[in-house]
Amino acid sequence: MAVDPVDRAVITQALLAAAREMGTKLVRSAYSTIVREARDASAAILDREGNVVAQAEMVPMQLGSMGTTLRPCLAHYRLDEIEEDDFFVNNHPYQGGQHLQDVFIFSPIFVSGRLVGFAGSVAHHLELGGGGVGLNNAATDLYQEGLIIPPTKYNRRRDWDGGAFERLLGANIRVPEQTLGDFNAQFAANATGTERVRQLCAKHGTDVVEDVMVGLIDYTESQLRAAIRALPDGVYYGEDWVDDDGITDEPLPIRVKVTIAGDTLDVDFAGTAPQVRTNINSPLASTGSAVMSCVKGVLLPPEVPCNEGSFRPITLRVPQGSILNPNAPAPVRARMEPCYRAYDAIMKALAPIVPDRAIASGFDATLVACLSKTIPGGFRVCMEVYGGGFGASVAADGADGIAAPLSNCTNQPVEALDMEYDFFRIASYGFEPDSFGHGRYRGGLGQRREYEVLADDVQFTLYADRLRVAPLGLEGGTPAQLTRCEILRNGSRLNVDPRKVVTLRTGDRIVIATSGGAGYGNPRERPSELVQNDVRQQIVPASVARTVYGEVV
Amino acid sequence: MRVGVEVGGTFTDLVAVDTAGVRVVKVPSTPHSPEEGVFAALAAAGISLDAVDDLVHGSTIATNAVLERKGGLTALVTTIGFRDILLLRRGDRPQIYQLIYRKPQPIVERQHSFEVNERVLANGSVHVPLDLAATEQMLREALAGAPFQAVAVCLLNAYINPAHERAIAVLIRKHFPALHVTCSHEVAQEFREYERASTTALSAYVQPVMDRYLGRFDDRLRAEGFKGRFSIMQSNGGRLPASAIRRNAITALFSGPAAGVAGAVRQGVLAGRRNIITFDMGGTSTDVSLITDAEPGIAAETTVDGLPVRTPVIDISSVGAGGGSIVWRDAGGLLRSGPQSAGAMPGPACYGRGGREPTITDAHLIRGTIPPDSLLGGHMPLDLDAARAAFGPLAAEFGMSLEQIADSAIRVANANVVRAIQLISTETGHDPRDYVLMPFGGAGPLHAGSIAEDLGIPTIVVPPNAGVLSAYGLLAADFTQFAAVTRKIPLDANAPSAVRETFADMAAKAVEQFRASGITAPPTLGCTLNMRFVGQAFELDVPLSSADLDAMTETSLFDAFERRHQQVYFHSAGSGIAGKKVEVVGLRLRASAPEPAFDLPVRHLTNQAPLSERQVFIDGALRTCTIVPCDHVRLEAGLSGPALIADITSTIYIPPAWQAQMDRNGSLIVHRKEV
Repeated sequence: MAVDPVDRAVITQALLAAAREMGTKLVRSAYSTIVREARDASAAILDREGNVVAQAEMVPMQLGSMGTTLRPCLAHYRLDEIEEDDFFVNNHPYQGGQHLQDVFIFSPIFVSGRLVGFAGSVAHHLELGGGGVGLNNAATDLYQEGLIIPPTKYNRRRDWDGGAFERLLGANIRVPEQTLGDFNAQFAANATGTERVRQLCAKHGTDVVEDVMVGLIDYTESQLRAAIRALPDGVYYGEDWVDDDGITDEPLPIRVKVTIAGDTLDVDFAGTAPQVRTNINSPLASTGSAVMSCVKGVLLPPEVPCNEGSFRPITLRVPQGSILNPNAPAPVRARMEPCYRAYDAIMKALAPIVPDRAIASGFDATLVACLSKTIPGGFRVCMEVYGGGFGASVAADGADGIAAPLSNCTNQPVEALDMEYDFFRIASYGFEPDSFGHGRYRGGLGQRREYEVLADDVQFTLYADRLRVAPLGLEGGTPAQLTRCEILRNGSRLNVDPRKVVTLRTGDRIVIATSGGAGYGNPRERPSELVQNDVRQQIVPASVARTVYGEVV
Repeated sequence: MRVGVEVGGTFTDLVAVDTAGVRVVKVPSTPHSPEEGVFAALAAAGISLDAVDDLVHGSTIATNAVLERKGGLTALVTTIGFRDILLLRRGDRPQIYQLIYRKPQPIVERQHSFEVNERVLANGSVHVPLDLAATEQMLREALAGAPFQAVAVCLLNAYINPAHERAIAVLIRKHFPALHVTCSHEVAQEFREYERASTTALSAYVQPVMDRYLGRFDDRLRAEGFKGRFSIMQSNGGRLPASAIRRNAITALFSGPAAGVAGAVRQGVLAGRRNIITFDMGGTSTDVSLITDAEPGIAAETTVDGLPVRTPVIDISSVGAGGGSIVWRDAGGLLRSGPQSAGAMPGPACYGRGGREPTITDAHLIRGTIPPDSLLGGHMPLDLDAARAAFGPLAAEFGMSLEQIADSAIRVANANVVRAIQLISTETGHDPRDYVLMPFGGAGPLHAGSIAEDLGIPTIVVPPNAGVLSAYGLLAADFTQFAAVTRKIPLDANAPSAVRETFADMAAKAVEQFRASGITAPPTLGCTLNMRFVGQAFELDVPLSSADLDAMTETSLFDAFERRHQQVYFHSAGSGIAGKKVEVVGLRLRASAPEPAFDLPVRHLTNQAPLSERQVFIDGALRTCTIVPCDHVRLEAGLSGPALIADITSTIYIPPAWQAQMDRNGSLIVHRKEV
C-alpha cells in the first residue's frame, strides 16, 4: 500500500504521542509512591502479532520486553477468542516476563470489530505477596518471591471492579488498595492508547494506520542495520562482574563476545557465570532487554524511536542455566544486577570501535531499598530506587546523581515520604563528593541518602550491586568509588548485611551512598578551569585536585 | 488613552486605543535594552505620554534572564541535609537511551547553597526548632561571601508551616537590606520540595533583573510626563501593577504568550464565542491553548529551560513550528519541519539576510500563499529565487517539484501544530470540534484553515490585527491574582463547610492584597478544587462557580470529581476495592478585578476595487486564489475560498469549501460550508 509520505510522518508522530500520553496517565492516576513519584512504569502500543510499535520514554528495562511478554499470551489464545473488554496479564519470568513485581497488562484495540493491536502497560507493583513484605531477598525459588500470574486472559467487565480476578489478586497481596489502584492506573493508560489508535484509524483508515505501524518498525530496523554496517566487521569482547551471589564472596563474571558481520550483531554470553541460588538471576526477557538497550543507546541517536525493529539485527545467545538465562524456578527478583553487568560488558566490547559514543561505566546498578512495618490490620511498605553517577565520555563529564541507564525512576520527594510514612524520615539527601572516577572528563557524582528510623520493629532490606566491584574507566580514566550501605545504632556501625532483612529500632540510621561514574581519559589532561570549578563547588577536595590532576588550588 | 506594548524577540508591537479608534505600530525590538523599543514604538505612533492613562507591558525579559543565565547572583538557604536539592532534581533523564547527558545548568551554584539546622514535619509541627543566633551568624558570613543580589529560602514542609522561612527572611533583611529575598511559601504553597525550591530559586534569580528593568522603565515614563497606571502582564493571563511585579517577578515569566490568550478571550467574546482554541504562530514557535466558557485553562506547573516552575500559568502548549522552522530530511528519510529555526537572523532564505536553509516562510513563498510584497505592508520584499534555491536539494531528494515539496513541508508543520492542539484538547478530555479556532501571530492565520480541517473544527475566528493580538490582549487583561494552598479535606459531610471556610480565608487575603496594590474595585473570585481518590498523588482540577460553592454537598462534589476522572482516565470509582474515597488536597483561588471594557469603533468596509487572482499550490493541487484586501466590501457579504485576505499584520488563507465573512467588530468568521 502506498501511504502518502506526509500521512506517514503524521501518523508516526501521533502513535508516539499516544504512547507518551499513556505513560503520563499511568503515573498521574497511580497510588503507590513507587509508581506515582518514582515512575517505575512504562507503556507502549503493539501490533496484532505482539511487536512493539511505539513506546513512551520511561523505563528501558521494562520497555525492551513488552513484545516478549505479550507473545506468550497470544500463543495461548486464538485471535478470534479475544473480545473488546478482554485484557491479558503476564508477570511470569519463565514465560516472557521479568520479575514478578513488573506486571504487564495488554488491552486489545478493536476498530469496527477488527483487532488492530494492543495497548500495553507495565508497573512495578509495590507489593505482590510472597515470603517478605515488599521484598523477599531470602527467596530460594520463584514461588517465594510473590504471586505468579502466567499469561492469562480476563475480562474487564466480568473479572475486575469487584470481579473474580480482582478479588483473587486482592486476597494475595498485603497492600491491596495501592496495588489494585496501580492496576487501575494501568487500565487508564491502556484505555488512553486504545482511544487514540481508534481515532487515528477513524481519520486515516485502519489499513493506512496498520501500514504505518509496520513501517515504523522497519524504519527503526533499517536505522540500526545502517549503524551496524558502518562498524568494522570483527569479534569484540567485554567483561564485567556482579559483586557476588550473596552467599559466597566470589565475583560472578559476565562475559560477552560481540560479532559484527555486515548489518548484523551477534551477542554471545558463553563463559558467563552459572545461575545462582539467590535472586540475582536474570530471565531471558530481561537479558534481551538489557542487550537491546545498550545497543540502541550506543548506536542510534536518541531521536530514532525504539521498537521491535531494534531487536531484529541482533542475535542473542545465552547459555541455558547461566545467570542470564536461568532454569525455572530460580528466584529472579534482583535481575537488574546481572543485566547491568551485561550492559556494561557490551559497552566495553563496543567502546574501542565507537569511542565517541560509548561511555565509561557508571553506577549502572539497581539499588532497591525496602522499609516496612506491620501495623494493626495491615502493612506499610516503602520502596525506593536509587540512581548514581553516569560514566564520563570522550566529550563530557558523566551526568551527576541520575537514574541508572536501564531504569529511569525519579527520586521520591522527601515531603511526599514525610506525608506518607511515620516510621522513618529522610534526614539528608545529596551528592556524595569524590564518589566518581577522575579523567580528562570525570564521572558523574553518586548520591547519598540517610534515613532516621522512628519506630521499633521496622524491617529493612535492599538489593544492590557495586558494593564490591567498582565501575571502571576508559582510556586512562580512573574507577569510581564503591556503593555502600551502613546501618548506625547509637552512632556506631552495625555489622550486618543489609541484603538480609534487618530489624531496626527507633533512632537507628541508614546511610546509602551510591557509586559515581568512572572517568574517561588522562586526568592530567583535564582543563584547569574544570578542576578549579569542581574544587569551588566542593565536589573535589583541594588535595585530590593536587594529587590526581596536578592542579594547585 | 490606553496603550499595550508587547516586546517580542524580533518585533515590538504597540496597540493604542482611545475614542478616536485603534492605532497599531510594529518596530524592531532592542534586546540590549528593551524599553528603547517601547519608547521608539510610542514615538512611531505619535503618542504623547501625558495623554496615556493606562500603559500595559508584556515582555520576555524574565524568560531571557533564565535562558541566558543573566539573572542576579542568587544564594539558596535550605534545611540541613538538603543543600543539593536544586542539583539533584528528580533524577530522571528526558531521553532514556541518551548516554552523554548533562542536566540543565543550575541557576544557583552548589557553593552558594547554605544549610540551616531546622526541621518542620508534614503536619506543620516543629521537629527541630530554628536556632536564631546560630542561623544569624551563619547567614552573616555566608551571604557576605559573594556579591549576591538575591536569596531563595526553601525549607522542607514550609508549605504547611512557613514560620522558619519567615524568621530567616527577617534575619537576612536585617543584615542585608539590599538583597531580594524570596521564600518558598510565598511563591508556591504545595508539597514536593524540588519543584518548590526550583520555583523559589527562579523567582529570586529574575527578581533583581525585573526590579531594575521596571524601575528604570518607570523612571523614564515619569520623566517623560506619564501620570497614568503602569501594569505588567503575568503568565496567568491577568495583569498586576508594575510595583507588585517588582516584588514577585516570577509571575511575569511567560507574559508574552499569556497576553495573546487574554486578547483571544476578549475578541472571542465580542464575536459571541466562548469556547476557543488559540493558535499563535510566530517566527520560531507556535503556542496553543484552550479557552472554555471564556476562561483559559490554567496549569499548576510549567518549565523554563527544563527547570520546573510551580506557579499557575495559562496552560499553553508550545511546539517548534513557525515561519522560520527549518525543513529537513531525517536519517530515516522522513520529511521534517523544525524544531530548529532560522530565527530572526539569518531568518528564512527569502529574507535575503544570508539564510540558506529552507524554512516554512520560504515554502509559503514558493506555494504562493505569501505574496512576495506582503511583509510589513510591502516594506520588506521577499526573494523568491532564494527560497526556490533553498528548497532545490530537498525537492531532488524526494523526487518532487518545488511546489510539491513546499506544500508537503507546510503539511508536516501543520501536523506538529495539530498534535500540540490535541495535547491540550483530546488529551485532557475536550473535543476540539466543540471549539472555534482563533489564529493570530504573524503566521497563524495562514495555517489555520488546514489545521481546522485536520481537527474537524468547523469555525475559525480571525481577530482584527491578528498579527499584534498579544499587544491588544494586554489592554484586555483584567487585574488578576492566583493563590493556591495545600489543604487536605476528606470528602465527607463536613467537606463543603471546610472548603467554604478555606476559600473565605483565601478570598479575604486576596482582597487585602489587591487593596495594597492600589486596586480598589472588588474582585470577582473563582475557585478550583484539586481532588483525587485517596491514595493518588496527582490531582484533577474541579472548578466551582460561586453558585456551586454555595450549593455544594458531599454528593455533588463526589459526582463532579467522578465525571472529571472518567473524562481523563476512562474509568472512575467503579465498584472495586481500590480508590473509592475521595479527598480535596488543595484549593486554588483566582481573584480578578475586571477593567471597564472599551468599545472599539464599528468596522466600515469601503474598498470596492476589483479583486485580483493568483495561482497557488495547496494540498497537492494548483488552485486559483482570490486576493482580497482586508477592508474590501466583499467581506461583508461573505466570500468563498480559496482566497487569501491580506491584513497589514498577517495573511489569512481561506481553504476551498470554506466561507469568510467579517463581523461588525472586524473579526473574520470563517465557516466550513455545509456539504
